[in-house]
Amino acid sequence: MTTVIHAGEINLARHEWRWEGIGFLAPLFLFALIVFDMPLLIVVFWSFSDPAAGFPSLGSYQAFIESGSYARIIWRTFLIAGEVTIATALLGYPLAYWISRLEQRSQLIAIGIVTMTFWVSILVRTYAWIVMLGNGGILNRWLLSLGLVSRPVEFLYNERGVAIGMINVLLPFLVLPLYAAMRRIDPRLLHVAETLGASRLQIFWRVFFPLTAPALGASMVLVFILSLGFYITPAILGGGRVPLIANMMDLLINKFARWEMAAVNSVVLLTATLAFYALYQRLRGKAT
Amino acid sequence: MSAPATLSRHQPPWLAALGCLTLLFMCLPVLIVVPMSFSSAQSLEFPPPGLSLRWYAAFFGNEIWAQAGVNSLLLATLASSIALVLGTLAAYGLVRGTFPGKALIEANFMAPMIVPSIITAVALFIVFARLRILGTFFGLVLGHTILVIPYVVLIMQVAIRAFDIRIEHVAATLGASRMVILRKIVVPNLLPSAAAAWIFAFVISFDEVVVTLFLAGTNMTIPKRMFNELIMQINPTITAVATLLIGFNVLALALILLLARGRHLQRSLA
Repeated sequence: MTTVIHAGEINLARHEWRWEGIGFLAPLFLFALIVFDMPLLIVVFWSFSDPAAGFPSLGSYQAFIESGSYARIIWRTFLIAGEVTIATALLGYPLAYWISRLEQRSQLIAIGIVTMTFWVSILVRTYAWIVMLGNGGILNRWLLSLGLVSRPVEFLYNERGVAIGMINVLLPFLVLPLYAAMRRIDPRLLHVAETLGASRLQIFWRVFFPLTAPALGASMVLVFILSLGFYITPAILGGGRVPLIANMMDLLINKFARWEMAAVNSVVLLTATLAFYALYQRLRGKAT
Repeated sequence: MSAPATLSRHQPPWLAALGCLTLLFMCLPVLIVVPMSFSSAQSLEFPPPGLSLRWYAAFFGNEIWAQAGVNSLLLATLASSIALVLGTLAAYGLVRGTFPGKALIEANFMAPMIVPSIITAVALFIVFARLRILGTFFGLVLGHTILVIPYVVLIMQVAIRAFDIRIEHVAATLGASRMVILRKIVVPNLLPSAAAAWIFAFVISFDEVVVTLFLAGTNMTIPKRMFNELIMQINPTITAVATLLIGFNVLALALILLLARGRHLQRSLA
């Protein structure tokens, strides 16, 4: 008899939770609606309306396409994002692999170091490159004092400088999930390949790498998405000479007061981000 | 769990070298900035010719930096506290509730983490300008709150999911009201995770640059001032600020790990 009462109570409780769940969500739902969803919708609306008259128009998009400078900066952003993603993968995959094959204690230390760098603010990590590679930085002072160069070498303030800073910031985003994926691989699979007479190279390329490929793909897409929206690193290490989409949006808002063009760029960047995020979710589904 | 001999013991030397170099590359900013901050030299000499605390004195003795520090602390405290309350309630509703459209609502709460912060910055700039709260501290708090909410929802969802719903059901069958269940069972059990989520949100807000640059107006924060100084010139005071930020973030990370371990301990004891 008691069990019957219990079952009834639980059902009752579940039925009540259903509605209370919505009650718990309501405050944040309202907050997100007012402080996030509505502003984004207004930006989309702005991009499709005439800045002077306010009626619906595709004029801003026309201006966007006709002016070559927007396309040029967006193309550069995608290009740098692609380069940074490939470089991050080429450095990050071997690092994750090496860490995952270390002794347990060394693994903990190495992953601890990676996590620590992840936690140091992007501003600090970017600033450090000015200290090291800037015109008055450590490396140039050494080169000058050794007499190897007569005036400072410009390591930064170009695309290479921006790329170095971005790779440094983004490496943990690739290494940490990749390391987790490598740890999940069943070692017995590798044992089997070994007993069947596969060489070390064969085991890696035919068994290990294919098993980690979805995680590698997902992490690379994540790094690419993050690269598209970078603002701080190009602003500091590009010295204003390597503006990416985000820096252009900053100029459009804070310098030229062309809000409608900033809105168009926002919509373009948002569309690209969401498309690649959908790809990321698909790859991640395969990786786990 | 042992890896097969073929792949574990014979790590080729080039792989070890590449791994070490990449790890060094990742740490280089910290390894350079921290010693530089204790330098006695006016310029960026490395290794520092002598040790001194002059750049820390310059930081703490400067009124603008002090004001920026107060603003940053206040801003991060308000944003992470509001986010903790709203985010924890929402996480509870998401985990315990079942209703249509739940996945969509959850995605909506996570969106500020995925949407590039420059877009959020532009959107809030345009709307806040219309509402005449652009450049106010209140607007800045709103902007930071929406940015840190995804992290709170994420952490609290994991914590609530790990907490056995049957305990709540048993309390309900024993006659406890919903409020009593929440106050006496749910909240005390979630406290360590809530503290971890709060610290996480605090650090994200404390380090935030992009949205702050757009919304702050004349309000100064530590990262904003740092960013402005960097654009203009090399000032060794920044190395001291950077070192303090590194120490602050690493301390926060240690606290979060400690809280997470405490929770596991609690669970394994129960």
